[in-house]
Amino acid sequence: MVKFTKEMKEALRVPGKGGSLIYLCTSSRDGNPNIAAMRFVATHMDDKILIADMFLLKTKANIKENPNVAVTICHPLDEGRWWVFRGKAVDIEYGFPRDFDWYGANATDILNEWGNWNKAEPPDEVPPDIVFPKAVQRGVVVVHVEEAYSIEPGHTGERVL
Amino acid sequence: MKAWIEAMGCHLCAATPEGVPYVVLGRYAAVQGDGEVAFALAEDEVKVIEPVLAKNPRVAFGVSRQGGIRAAYQFKGTGEFLRSGLVFEVVSARAKEEKGIDTAAVLLVRLTELYCTKPGYEAGQRLDGMVPEELNAWERQRWKDVPRKRD
Repeated sequence: MVKFTKEMKEALRVPGKGGSLIYLCTSSRDGNPNIAAMRFVATHMDDKILIADMFLLKTKANIKENPNVAVTICHPLDEGRWWVFRGKAVDIEYGFPRDFDWYGANATDILNEWGNWNKAEPPDEVPPDIVFPKAVQRGVVVVHVEEAYSIEPGHTGERVL
Repeated sequence: MKAWIEAMGCHLCAATPEGVPYVVLGRYAAVQGDGEVAFALAEDEVKVIEPVLAKNPRVAFGVSRQGGIRAAYQFKGTGEFLRSGLVFEVVSARAKEEKGIDTAAVLLVRLTELYCTKPGYEAGQRLDGMVPEELNAWERQRWKDVPRKRD
């Protein structure tokens, strides 16, 4: 069982609150990898990463057929945030059974707190030329982290959780 | 696109045949022509990703750092490790000079797919069906900034 450090929790927040832009890496069941940057990120409990489902396409399809994912920091990298978190993900969408449980995370609790993420943490730090015109959230991806390794140069692959 | 890849480096994602993803950094990247990118990888980085690519050569990558949002593309292709030859010699020498990387192997990715990942209505749009001139025009219309120097 893993437990995020204080630094990890501070990094796994939206960029406007001192957090990070992250990459969510998924794969089809037969090993076709996919990597996409995400802005809406948070931690839940001590071992869950939450990501808003707003514009997910291939990522969503992959998670529905294969829960294995990796989450890593895209930016900023130079603040000791050299981590890759690996675990299993589900996309908790509206309509999920209210008592659905993902390794201890409850669907109702997740959607109540993070289901209107754009209102709770609007993308004020995103430059106007690239901010999306309208955010339509369809759910929350919950990553149950099982391990983490380093991508710090010289230490890549070393287990950190 | 080329400027962002080479200035920022990339996050490289590979997956086992069973669909378990792994990520390493491609800190030094050199675009080779229109359809290949060479990444200089140190020994620790090779150790993580080479066993995965040995079983499944498919690679997806996105630009690191600010490029994750300012250069919103996903590149897909197949990877091959080089440990000798002209590309290895040139890329490893430049990686040492510019980034101080002791290159154990060069990962040469031959691109087969390109996607837009900009949040919004164009997210997920496949772009590699465009001819190069069309793609350049599409990019110029949307992205006005390019990085000025290597980080």
